[in-house]
Amino acid sequence: MSTVLDPKIPAGPLKEKWDNYKNTIKLVNPANKRKHTVLVVGTGLAGGSAAASLAELGYNVKSFCIQDSPRRAHSIAAQGGINAAKNYPNDGDTIWRLFYDTIKGGDYRSREANVYRLAQVSNNIIDQCVAQGVPFAREYGGLLDNRSFGGAQVSRTFYAKGQTGQQLLLGAYQAMSRQIGAGNIEMFSRREMLDLVVVDGKARGIITRNLVTGEYERHVGDAVLLCTGGYGNVYYLSTNAKNSNVTAAWRCHKRGAYFANPCYTQIHPTCIPVSGDYQSKLTLMSESLRNDGRVWVPKKQGDTRRPQDIPEEDRDYYLERKYPSFGNLVPRDVASRNAKMATDEGRGVGETGLAVYLDFKDSINRLGRDTIEARYGNLFEMYERITGENPYEVPMRIFPAVHYTMGGLWVDYELQSTVPGLFVLGEANFSDHGANRLGASALMQGLADGYFVIPYTLGNYIANQSLPDVSTDADAFGEAESAADARIQKLLSVNGNKTVMEFHRELGRIIWDQVGMSRTAGGLRQAIDQVSALKEEFWQNVCVPGEPTTYNKNLEFAGRVADFLELGELMARDALSREESCGGHFREEYQTPEGEALRNDDEFTHVSAWEHTASGHVLHKENLDFENVQLTTRSYK
Amino acid sequence: MAHSMNITLKVWRQAGPDAQGGFETYSVPDANEHMSFLELLDVLNEQLIKEGKEPVEFDHDCREGICGSCGVVIDGVAHGPQQRTACCQLHMRHYKDGDTIVIEPWRAEGFPIIKDLVVDRQAFDRIIAAGGYVSVNTGAAQDANSIPIPKDDADLAMDYATCIGCGACVAACPNASASLFTAAKIAQLSLLPQGAPERTMRVTNMVDQMAKEGFGDCSNHAECEAVCPKGISISAIATMRREYMKAMRG
Amino acid sequence: MRLSTLLNSPIGKKLITGITGLGLTFFVLMHMVGNLSMFSGDDAYNEYAHFLASLGPLLYAVEAGLVLFFLAHAVNGFKIWIGKRKARPQAYAVYKSAGGPSMQSSSSRSMIITGIILLVFLVFHLISFKFGPGGPGNADASYLTTVNGVEMRDLARLVREKFALSWYTFGYTAIMLLLVAHLRHGVWSALQSLGAMRPSLSALIHTIGGLLGLGIGLGFIVMPLAIYFGLI
Ligand SMILES: Cc1cc2nc3c(=O)[nH]c(=O)nc-3n(C[C@H](O)[C@H](O)[C@H](O)COP(=O)(O)OP(=O)(O)OC[C@H]3O[C@@H](n4cnc5c(N)ncnc54)[C@H](O)[C@@H]3O)c2cc1C
Ligand code: HEM
Ligand code: SF4
Ligand code: FES
Repeated sequence: MSTVLDPKIPAGPLKEKWDNYKNTIKLVNPANKRKHTVLVVGTGLAGGSAAASLAELGYNVKSFCIQDSPRRAHSIAAQGGINAAKNYPNDGDTIWRLFYDTIKGGDYRSREANVYRLAQVSNNIIDQCVAQGVPFAREYGGLLDNRSFGGAQVSRTFYAKGQTGQQLLLGAYQAMSRQIGAGNIEMFSRREMLDLVVVDGKARGIITRNLVTGEYERHVGDAVLLCTGGYGNVYYLSTNAKNSNVTAAWRCHKRGAYFANPCYTQIHPTCIPVSGDYQSKLTLMSESLRNDGRVWVPKKQGDTRRPQDIPEEDRDYYLERKYPSFGNLVPRDVASRNAKMATDEGRGVGETGLAVYLDFKDSINRLGRDTIEARYGNLFEMYERITGENPYEVPMRIFPAVHYTMGGLWVDYELQSTVPGLFVLGEANFSDHGANRLGASALMQGLADGYFVIPYTLGNYIANQSLPDVSTDADAFGEAESAADARIQKLLSVNGNKTVMEFHRELGRIIWDQVGMSRTAGGLRQAIDQVSALKEEFWQNVCVPGEPTTYNKNLEFAGRVADFLELGELMARDALSREESCGGHFREEYQTPEGEALRNDDEFTHVSAWEHTASGHVLHKENLDFENVQLTTRSYK
Repeated sequence: MAHSMNITLKVWRQAGPDAQGGFETYSVPDANEHMSFLELLDVLNEQLIKEGKEPVEFDHDCREGICGSCGVVIDGVAHGPQQRTACCQLHMRHYKDGDTIVIEPWRAEGFPIIKDLVVDRQAFDRIIAAGGYVSVNTGAAQDANSIPIPKDDADLAMDYATCIGCGACVAACPNASASLFTAAKIAQLSLLPQGAPERTMRVTNMVDQMAKEGFGDCSNHAECEAVCPKGISISAIATMRREYMKAMRG
Repeated sequence: MRLSTLLNSPIGKKLITGITGLGLTFFVLMHMVGNLSMFSGDDAYNEYAHFLASLGPLLYAVEAGLVLFFLAHAVNGFKIWIGKRKARPQAYAVYKSAGGPSMQSSSSRSMIITGIILLVFLVFHLISFKFGPGGPGNADASYLTTVNGVEMRDLARLVREKFALSWYTFGYTAIMLLLVAHLRHGVWSALQSLGAMRPSLSALIHTIGGLLGLGIGLGFIVMPLAIYFGLI
């Protein structure tokens, strides 16, 4: 039965909701906090900041991650920066403006109250990080530097060279390390969460597998915080780290947590193109490159001349042509889709034809090579390291790549999923970014969730519950552990003749083609069939050699690909049911005559939250009420 | 067009922490110049899996030189022949058809081998937990711009802060010393006013922990700086020593 | 702390090696300069040696200090070496330096070997000269001479006798070359150990250290060779 979900948004005017909430919640007695164990899965920005903050408050925290160290979570790779409404440059930024830009950027498919709270706490994040010793870029006067990012009209992005995610994550990691040293956090690295344990309707534990010894471990807690990141690797090739996965979220989904908006994925326009079949991942280059680079393709199809031999009149600077006022700085989704259109027309460049040029010649002529080097030197170096080509001399080749997933487990205002006691933070939740995320706002959201939201909402949950002691011998633990073990044994016993990577690549190709930058009803139906056939084949023909009792990465990946196969199908289903175009979700049937996304606000101003049932997926909705902003059409002409 | 190359790999295989290890030789006939080094290992592993053999275990995650997961010794050099490059960003165009490449894990008492090329680097986490932080609770911070920090100090702190915790410095050091890793954090925090009140405790505790983990002492070979994918300068180590001397006096 | 902690900490060990190393470097430099007085004639040399001996308690204090420095230096050298062997129980099958900013060299890798040889040589050297004929506890009238009316030990004679022997001369030369090797890494290293190094100066100081080492070594070698080849 389809229902309407209640996000439990606090009463009052938008600007007062969060304060009202904080003023009225129940608090946990400090002396009692120690008695409450909180299981935090994931140590990225969301998990790291949550674990540290909760341990500081006195909770007994257990923390888990796949990598050998919490410091290696995928957040480490974020380059560009983090937004905050500090208005240090005095260019007119306000909390409202940050809120508004985020709502609009998300194409009006996110929840007002959450986004406003995000903008409100954004400033505290910067204060917190600086206090931790995060070396943000500074001006000569010693004060913090800001830059404008992703086409924003104000400079509100704080950054630490091209390694902002690294520095923020190390800040959180160090805060965690302090608590580990003090004995308040028990750290379990090289662990994979394989199931959620639900007792009396509440999340009370998890099953993890020790990735070194293969042993299963049962952990009991009063709440579980899922901070396991996004599922971009469903596409096989993405800018995500290789270990990024949907497994933890998917197992929670199967235990009752609804999965929201799985079809909202973000394709980033400036990545280094694929060079061959062996390619294992894609590398993002900061989109700041579009500030000075001009995007073009040859006017003619199949023009194989070298770029320097193609004269101006034979070049099509298509972004400048189509969007005269924003030009090369149109939002990510628009830039990506247009690159796809150009290559679909057979005007792509490079060996594979799956790339467009990003040309710095004009800005080098105008500003001088030194200026360009000062701005982008390290990016140019990285490009050359990977491609062997010198972008000062030949234009860069770029192509869009999967980068971020806006969808995720559904959560209410308190970040609680549909399973009581299971909270979801960071990229793993369906988040505050609606149908499209603006640059420099994922870091902000992860840290907002972990440092400034969960310490309140978790306390409110715990203070309001009776949480009787649960033992790891409880039936629910035994059942979950046997299920996890049965899957592992099954994977090892198929003994077929296709590798895990082959399946993953094939899945990625289907999802990229049909649930990628542009989608059609026909293509999506086809994808559903193809993925379900592939899933069937997987369980009959996958080959996973080795033992379950030693380090076995291929076995880990096998389990994750199995979950991606199920998720892929749901993504296609979700995309099919959303009969409109919005943000990163572009349905070819729903576009303006100029080829721009056409929303259908009357029917689709809602979150689609999918429930997993024995008989398949059931769609539930959360209606999005816009009381403070007016829905408009994004235009970048 | 990409050239196809035949590469021979001599890889260290070791079934578990206590097992006897040894080299195995494999040939990868269809390597190509655009591949990254880890992609070459992927291709080898696909080959092995197809033959029903166990793939070679190696750590990796971001594959863009920032997470610090990857790290093997390639022909005697940690992270391989290209300086300032983690081995995930090393590309095969540095090799030619017919080359033989020897691959070994990081070797150090402080980094016990888990399997094949995978080692346990938790000692690094314990060194950070001993003092590599600023003690500030969430919510206790003042406005971010209330203490100006000279740009040069902030920039230098950033240079030290770029350490990815890969462990190449230990691997390459003839003494298997963890000084560069430890010093990079100490040097970063020593440059920032936020880190100042705890500096004495920080340096003594971190240095003690480093010694307890079984790493060797630093003999100033500076090999660490040469293999560090972030090119962190051994001036960090000089700073650490000065901080330590200050702590002794104070 | 404090002292015992300091002495056993990775930094403390290096501080001691560095301070004693620089002290010993200063000592060998002085010793070398003193040796060169042989070029001004045997009398000058003997007078110089006599002057040192006549310092009495002061000399004993300096000698005691030197012994302490040598011991502390050697003990720490051993400790560091043992530590490094424990820190990498299994060696690499293939190992090489990455070059560039690395200061690794045959010198830096063989400090313990050059050090031990220097230590053994030191004992042998003391037996040959300081406690040799005419020295303390080894009175020998034939090794007495009178310069400007003062009777003193004829150390120059002993020196000339020793460096007439080819094995002795060339052995000595070889060991002085090892001293050069030790100092090539040592001088720079000591400054880095004491936290007195800056990245911009590193290469320069390394070169200066090498040249200083070479200067000291050559200074030690010219006198014996000159005697051997009959030039003085
Ligand atoms: C290349 C790149 C650049 C980016 N640049 C920016 C930027 O400039 N600005 C911005 O705002 N955003 C940026 N983003 C997005 C942003 O980095 C991420 O959205 C964000 O870091 C996600 O953080 P997280 O804490 O939710 O998850 P993650 O950092 O992905 O952490 C996930 C954690 O969960 C653990 N985990 C996962 N599954 C399991 C399991 N089954 N069991 C146990 N543990 C598990 C992992 O070990 C890890 O610790 C970028 C993303 C990419 C890919
Ligand atoms: C003529 C006498 C000697 C001089 C002038 C001398 C000088 C030096 C100097 C300047 C250093 C650098 C210190 C540092 O890195 O901090 C050094 C290091 C060292 N010396 Fe000596 N030394 C002498 C004798 C010895 C002896 C007798 C040994 C005996 C074992 C020895 C063993 C070492 C070792 C092992 C090191 C390297 C320490 C390390 O690895 O960090 N040296 N020496
Ligand atoms: S100092 Fe350099 S080599 Fe050592 S762990 Fe950090 S990044 Fe790796
Ligand atoms: S895999 Fe992340 S640094 Fe190499």
